[in-house]
Amino acid sequence: MGLAVDVVKRSGRRKTEMFDTDKLSRSIHSACLSVRTPEGQAESAASHVTGLVTLWITQKPAVTSNDLRRQVAYHLHRYHPDAAYYYLHQRSIL
Amino acid sequence: MTPVDTTISLSVVLLAGLIHASFQLSISVLTLMSGHALGRKTAHHRLMDLIGGYLLGATVMVVLLLAFIAYLFGALFPGQIPSIVWVVSCSAAIGVGVSIWLFYYRSQLGTVLWIPREFARHLDSRAKSTKSSAESFSLGLTSILSEILFVFAPIVLAALVLIRLTPDMQLLGILLYAVVSLLPLYIIGILISGGHKISHIQRWRERNKRFLQFAAGSGLLMLGIYVYVEHVVVVSMLGGL
Repeated sequence: MGLAVDVVKRSGRRKTEMFDTDKLSRSIHSACLSVRTPEGQAESAASHVTGLVTLWITQKPAVTSNDLRRQVAYHLHRYHPDAAYYYLHQRSIL
Repeated sequence: MTPVDTTISLSVVLLAGLIHASFQLSISVLTLMSGHALGRKTAHHRLMDLIGGYLLGATVMVVLLLAFIAYLFGALFPGQIPSIVWVVSCSAAIGVGVSIWLFYYRSQLGTVLWIPREFARHLDSRAKSTKSSAESFSLGLTSILSEILFVFAPIVLAALVLIRLTPDMQLLGILLYAVVSLLPLYIIGILISGGHKISHIQRWRERNKRFLQFAAGSGLLMLGIYVYVEHVVVVSMLGGL
């Protein structure tokens, strides 16, 4: 589902895009699975964190993808610190 | 060539392999590829296939590179290797060593390396889309080639030392170099296959990145100076006597 909030992509090279809760939820779910979280726990963390981030983002006209990443990691840390670390750092591995 | 000379030459190959082992690009790609595969709910045996393909690709490329460069030097200099070749190779090793001290990691969080961003983006996208062992084999080959700027120096020195050995010792030297230089990659592969979390591995790498950078740079510097003294200074002194 898309909200009327623009997400400004990293480095400004790519076009901005609408905030998509499904895409966000999928990325959190995938990060949880990457650190070997059980499926149910990954789904639950993705659902809770997506809800919290959606609440935060609806007050803003636009956010950067880096801000979004940090906000997700901040909330995810309460549910799964390892997944939060991986989510925040997966773009800085290479 | 005496047994002592052979031992010293194999020790130089071992040190060159250890220096190569402290380079991080292929480990980063393996970490990324495994993370994406786990995130896609890839079955464990498929993950093992991917890791196996990747390790095989990296091993084949290291062996091919070393054997090719050694063959090239052997063909170009069938008798004795000219001093100028030793001087250029040692200078390159010292230069790369200093560059590693200064530039190896980018000044930001994580383990982002100072390689061309186009290469990094390509490896990132390939690591994300790798789904078969044939693709992971190719990714293993590419990842070793992508860090050629750094691995070139230890491989060239190892090749120069190797071609002076007997054929059976050359083969042993190539295997020794390949196993030692890829040991960290095998260890990470075994850890991931054994169920270790990618986040723990990445945390360890991030905590120790400055040490690995220092070790790689210092190792190359020492290797360059040692080979220079052994093959240029000592030879020219003996020639003058």
